[in-house]
Amino acid sequence: MEATQATPVKYDMEVVRWFTIAAAIYAVVGTLIGVYVASELAFPFLNMDLEYITFGRLRPLHTNAVIFAFGGCALMATGFYMVQRTGSTKLWSNKLAWFTFWGWNLIIVSAVITLPLGMTTGKEYAELEWPIDILIAVVWLSFGLNHIMTVAIRKTSHIYVSNWFTMGMIIMITYLHVVNSMAIPVSLTNSFSIYTGVQDAMIQWWWGHNAVGFYLTGGFLGIMYYFVPKQVGKPVFSYRLSVLHFWALTFGYVWLGAHHLQYTALPDWTGSLGAAVSLAMIIPSWGGAMNGMMTLSGAWDRLRTDYILRFLVVALAFYAMSTFEGPVMSIKTVNALSHYTDWTVGHVHSGALGWMAMVAYGAMYHMIKKLWGVEKMYSESLVNVHFWLATIGTVVYVVAMWVSGIMQGLMWRDYDEYGTLTYTFVESVSAMHPYYAMRAIGGAIFNLGAWIALYNIVMTVRTASAVRGANAVPANA
Amino acid sequence: MSEKHDVGGVPTTGHVWDDDLGDFTNQPPKWWMLGLTASAIWVCVYWLYYPSVPVSTGSTFFKGIGGWTAINEMEADKGVVDEVRGKYEAKLKDMTPAAILADGELTEYVTRSGKVLFGDNCAACHGTNGVGTTDKQGLFAPILNDDDWLYGGTVDNIHESISSGRQGMMMAHKDMLSAAEIDTLANAVAAGTPTATPLFAEKGCTACHGEDGKGMAAMGSANLTDKVYRFDGSVEGIKYTIEHGVNAGTPDTRVAVMPSFKAAGKLSDAEMKKLAVYVYKFGGGQADAPVAMEAAPVEAASAVEAAAPAAAQ
Amino acid sequence: MSDHDKIYSTKFQDKIERSTLLMFVMSAFAVAIGGIVEIVPLFYLPNTAMTGGDGTYNGTQHKDLNGNVISMDKIVWNPATSEHKTLDAWQPGDGVRPYTALETAGRNVYIREGCFLCHSQMIRPFRDEKDRYGHYSIAEESMYDHTYQWGSKRTGPDLARVGGKYSDEWHRRHLKYPREVVPESVMPNYFWLENKPVDVAETVKTLEVMTIMPFNPVPKTIYTDEYIAGATAQLEGKTDMDALIAYLQGLGNHVKFEEGVNYRD
Ligand code: HEC
Ligand code: HEC
Ligand code: HEC
Ligand code: HEM
Ligand code: HEM
Ligand SMILES: [Ca+2]
Ligand SMILES: [Ca+2]
Ligand SMILES: [Cu+2]
Repeated sequence: MEATQATPVKYDMEVVRWFTIAAAIYAVVGTLIGVYVASELAFPFLNMDLEYITFGRLRPLHTNAVIFAFGGCALMATGFYMVQRTGSTKLWSNKLAWFTFWGWNLIIVSAVITLPLGMTTGKEYAELEWPIDILIAVVWLSFGLNHIMTVAIRKTSHIYVSNWFTMGMIIMITYLHVVNSMAIPVSLTNSFSIYTGVQDAMIQWWWGHNAVGFYLTGGFLGIMYYFVPKQVGKPVFSYRLSVLHFWALTFGYVWLGAHHLQYTALPDWTGSLGAAVSLAMIIPSWGGAMNGMMTLSGAWDRLRTDYILRFLVVALAFYAMSTFEGPVMSIKTVNALSHYTDWTVGHVHSGALGWMAMVAYGAMYHMIKKLWGVEKMYSESLVNVHFWLATIGTVVYVVAMWVSGIMQGLMWRDYDEYGTLTYTFVESVSAMHPYYAMRAIGGAIFNLGAWIALYNIVMTVRTASAVRGANAVPANA
Repeated sequence: MSEKHDVGGVPTTGHVWDDDLGDFTNQPPKWWMLGLTASAIWVCVYWLYYPSVPVSTGSTFFKGIGGWTAINEMEADKGVVDEVRGKYEAKLKDMTPAAILADGELTEYVTRSGKVLFGDNCAACHGTNGVGTTDKQGLFAPILNDDDWLYGGTVDNIHESISSGRQGMMMAHKDMLSAAEIDTLANAVAAGTPTATPLFAEKGCTACHGEDGKGMAAMGSANLTDKVYRFDGSVEGIKYTIEHGVNAGTPDTRVAVMPSFKAAGKLSDAEMKKLAVYVYKFGGGQADAPVAMEAAPVEAASAVEAAAPAAAQ
Repeated sequence: MSDHDKIYSTKFQDKIERSTLLMFVMSAFAVAIGGIVEIVPLFYLPNTAMTGGDGTYNGTQHKDLNGNVISMDKIVWNPATSEHKTLDAWQPGDGVRPYTALETAGRNVYIREGCFLCHSQMIRPFRDEKDRYGHYSIAEESMYDHTYQWGSKRTGPDLARVGGKYSDEWHRRHLKYPREVVPESVMPNYFWLENKPVDVAETVKTLEVMTIMPFNPVPKTIYTDEYIAGATAQLEGKTDMDALIAYLQGLGNHVKFEEGVNYRD
């Protein structure tokens, strides 16, 4: 009885359930590969002389697994969930949603097969070869079309703010993917970008940054805008803030890509364009962080008991932190030091682990209870354990990379009192060792949390299904 | 409909989604609105000051009013370091390596500045501090911190090695000599007495390694009497060297190529001079002019050191 | 009591929020601008839009210390004006050229193995990078790089000018077992590259494709029909290791840089 109430038949939620479970699984897999690549840098023998798991082949698998498998499934689960509930309508096409689900998983499986085999276009976060790229375009459009059409058939007068962000993401990622993946194939498994040198670099980082900006940030802001007020049980703090920071981000973020290319062979104007707008992005970004935080205000006492809320709060804190750090790293003089170093990697993971993964987990726990109609997770204390492991793991990781990154940058440019370089490159490599080991440990802690989350989720689902089975409620997905 | 949200007197917009989602009509905080305006102004100012506007002005683009370019910034930064090292570099410019070696202050400067030059360019082959690099196939390139030299150890010899590169050649002898002859020769070389067997002269080894077997610096042929081995010094290893030669152009020959840092344009003239003095100061440099004062401390790289053959006495 | 019809933003914003189509169009418009402004000029502004190799440079120019324009043929190799007329005759310093057949095969290996995830190929104009790696990189140097390989992380050193720095034999031994040569290294062992023969057909196809690229294609005067026909012979019997080493040895010595000239303008 409760079960059907919590997931009323008026929604198509079965596909959301599958996406949610998939996200929980891919989070474990993606971070496990992360721990392995991190360990390879600390202890190179772990490569075990297998060509398929050399750092150069495994790292793209890590980034694809966390961004597209974990991140993607989290985005699609929440996207389909939110768009129905905020529009009080079923999906435009449930069939198409299933196509999206299986298509997306097919892409992930193809990535798992092709990347270790060395089939790559050599573009960061866009490594997959052209046949898979075509598949990505088709599946992404199927998601986009379904989402936007569901918005179109909503029963509410206005479009909810979460859906603004999701729509922005859908449009931008489509542009990015299509333009950046343009290539001429030489075989089924190999192709070459139609652009070269400076143009290719700019297009790559227009893609690279905005995959971050619209997918890992915009998309997850959409998630934040639904799940924070839902979990707190209060409306969003400020409608005006939502409007202003949405448009500022949507318009502004696009310009930032060039901050990845400062001082490179691109003309000076490109880097400056990117740097100027990057610094200006602190305020719009903090607008989102603040809107979330202020929505919570007044419910602070609940943090002691509400573990889901904790995930969301810490996520917002990391979001504010990394959107401060990013602009700082865009300043020419800072970027001169940070570029090419582990500082970038630290920044990535404060955003990815601290913000993106934390929001995703907050949303997933919230949804799971609703989707399977349970009052509580199988074990609330395991949620708490997961929370602490995730937080501590992230902090250990990020701190290790800050230290190693800044140290690297300083060692490379250090001049002694005779005006000559102080350190050889190899000295900087060996100086990184302790921090690489520390990062691997931080990552392992985070990964342990992901396992616990998966266990907890599986047990919750099993218990719920057992109850449902016992109550003999028809399985009307 | 949404009265329950009217806490603190602030109304919501009145729109409701999914039973209880809505938004308050709070104003964004003042500081945020100010920040947003300031950001917009900031962007405009930055774009005017720095080169940011991609419009063509003749052969280039609009440069911004600040005159900043990455290259200008580098030139300015150069000045700072040049101030410290400029006076040394200016002197170095027209000096020979030997003259640098005679100047105590410059030698001190060079030994300091040579560390990274050597570490980033040479250590890959010659090991940290010249202790040699040994892998499965043996010593990769000559040890530079001993006093055994293929091409001579004066600072000028060393300079020549760096700037022109080296590529010692010894033909493969496996078709010229019988197995027994090779065996005899190898054993004689291993004992440090190559001339003990008449074969050494008969088979033409002396043409390159000299009547006394002590090698000739001019062609970089090894001294075969000092039991310091460039390649594998076991009898088997020596046999292999004799059989297959060095840089003999066959697939299984021993390879010994020192790149020319001048031809490849990898180092400037001053840098090559500095390195010559730096290597000389490892302690094995041979007097031609001043005698090396003391052996440079060989620190770190204990792994390489341990692995290096006992050759380095 | 809230008023349903009261608008708390602007009329237009309210309209957008009511209309899926309008929301779609406005977003699609807002996210298009930044990219267009940043990317499109790179295709026509003179200092990046070199098309190269056959003397068509779109006004790209660099000036020497006296303000005289340096002929682009000195920076980008043009067989028509160079004393070295074919790819095989090309000498370091003749100017930026496309990759030879063997180098192309090596570049494919470089991309396949993801070397760019640890090694940059982009020297920035800083004092320390010049001291460590050599002259800063210029746009022309990657003009034939379909899929540029600048990288974004230096776990290992920059490789933009590694060509000629070591011997082939050193590269072979280093690539096979990096830690035997450089004990501190964290680079994977690539000994198995020696067991892989070069994919001849794919490499030849790659050369062909490079001549039909819409942007910065390799002129047919460089990848001539004879050259492509002869490529197979050049590649026969070579391993991925040989190819990779050939690629590395060709990096960074194309242009002869003059001291003091600003090559970024
Ligand atoms: C690619 C590997 C490699 C690099 C890099 C290299 N060398 Fe060498 N070097 C060699 C080899 C091999 C020989 C021996 C050549 C021969 O046997 O003909 C050699 C020989 C020498 C010699 C002559 C030794 C003797 O016994 O006479 C000197 C001096 C020297 N190198 C110094 C340097 C310096 C200084 C650098 C850095 C600027 C450097 N090398 C970089 C491989 C290298
Ligand atoms: C064409 C000149 C030439 C002839 C003839 C020649 N050698 Fe050599 N040999 C060299 C050179 C040059 C080297 C040093 C190679 C290097 O390290 O770059 C060398 C090195 C060696 C070495 C290795 C020494 C070490 O330190 O590991 C041995 C052993 C040797 N020769 C033995 C012989 C014998 C025995 C013969 C006669 C059968 C002979 N060589 C004939 C030029 C010659
Ligand atoms: C896990 C990171 C990693 C990967 C992947 C990697 N390298 Fe390296 N590489 C390093 C490190 C660290 C060094 C510095 C220590 C050394 O010389 O081994 C290095 C050094 C080098 C050097 C010597 C550069 C110099 O100037 O001293 C070359 C050449 C090189 N790598 C080529 C490659 C190629 C080609 C590939 C791909 C097939 C590759 N590397 C993959 C980490 C890596
Ligand atoms: C257990 C957790 C994780 C560990 C141990 C880990 C480890 C790593 C390592 C070792 C690298 C390579 C860094 C380098 O080249 O030096 C990397 C890169 C990267 N990881 Fe993770 N990772 C983890 C989780 C995640 C998550 C959840 C995301 C989510 C999006 C993520 C996104 C990325 C990205 C985008 C990069 C590329 C960074 C760059 O190019 O600068 N990682 N990670
Ligand atoms: C306003 C917000 C932000 C700005 C201005 C910004 C800026 C930057 C800068 C300057 C770099 C380094 C580029 C380089 O030197 O190579 C960078 C790298 C990166 N950032 Fe951010 N950042 C922001 C927010 C975020 C967030 C929230 C995330 C996470 C989810 C993120 C993910 C990344 C990633 C993945 C990279 C690595 C790119 C690479 O592979 O090199 N960023 N960012
Ligand atoms: Ca020696
Ligand atoms: Ca990167
Ligand atoms: Cu960015």
